[in-house]
Amino acid sequence: MKILLCIDDTDNLESRGTGELASILAEQIEERGWGLSQFVTRHQLLVHPDVPYTSHNSSMCFESDIKVAVLGQLIAYAAKFLERESASGSDPGLCVSVVDRLADSEAIIAFGKEAKKSVLTKQQAYELAARLGVHLSEHGGTGQGVIGALAGVGLRLSGNDGRLKGWLDIATDGGVARVDQILAQTILGGVRSMDGKLLGPEEIVAVDTKPKAVLLDGQAFLMVSPAADAGSVRWRTTPRQQLKGF
Amino acid sequence: MWQPNPEGRKIFRHGQESFALASETADRCGAFRPDVEEEWVVDEERSCYNCSLRRWTAASFVCLAEG
Repeated sequence: MKILLCIDDTDNLESRGTGELASILAEQIEERGWGLSQFVTRHQLLVHPDVPYTSHNSSMCFESDIKVAVLGQLIAYAAKFLERESASGSDPGLCVSVVDRLADSEAIIAFGKEAKKSVLTKQQAYELAARLGVHLSEHGGTGQGVIGALAGVGLRLSGNDGRLKGWLDIATDGGVARVDQILAQTILGGVRSMDGKLLGPEEIVAVDTKPKAVLLDGQAFLMVSPAADAGSVRWRTTPRQQLKGF
Repeated sequence: MWQPNPEGRKIFRHGQESFALASETADRCGAFRPDVEEEWVVDEERSCYNCSLRRWTAASFVCLAEG
């Protein structure tokens, strides 16, 4: 069955990032034979003086397809993992949602979108999680991370929010690659222009270093922009500073 | 470049999209510490926008580096 697991507020200045902890959890699910995990996504939440945050306010989420019988074991493992690995002074939260058992998926998506615009409370998060039948728990500090953890599940479920953790590793021929070659090397669902055009398999893209993917329509996409300076090559990977909207 | 905030910290006066200036400033900064990759805003590592000592505000960021 498909689950979404999201964590938030696990780090401090000296520690590993929340994204790394999410990646370790995703790998552990596979190593323990509990299921198969997908890529980790980062979801930007509200940056506001009233929201306690480290250097950012974002949560990290991934999808796994797990055996039904291991759900309880997995939640217990993730909870202990956060208690052990979260940094001193952090306020970690954990959310695990079984997608097919969600009572009201629109409500959790709405919560995620709201967390990008306004200050929400732990009480709101716990009340919604209880109503929807979603696991939500805190594992240290103030536990404020439950808000972002629940919001992150909603945003990942929306299929249209966030960037993938890490860079895409794309082999090129002199810095360029055809779209079908890019797709054959990656987990991407496609290559899209910033104005929404899906590139055809034979179109050629100038691939800059460290290309990032974003989540759109439930899939990972590489975003490209018109290449003004790349000769006959019409497209270039969109630099990260132009992906802030994701 | 900077203006003080009420807590005595430095606010970057040039907002969140002065990419060249943020890069040059980080080049000259001895306190620069890159944040984890997923929190980077620009592709080049060395930028105030990628520093773990920056704290975003609505319009810019506050620098926590001493001095």
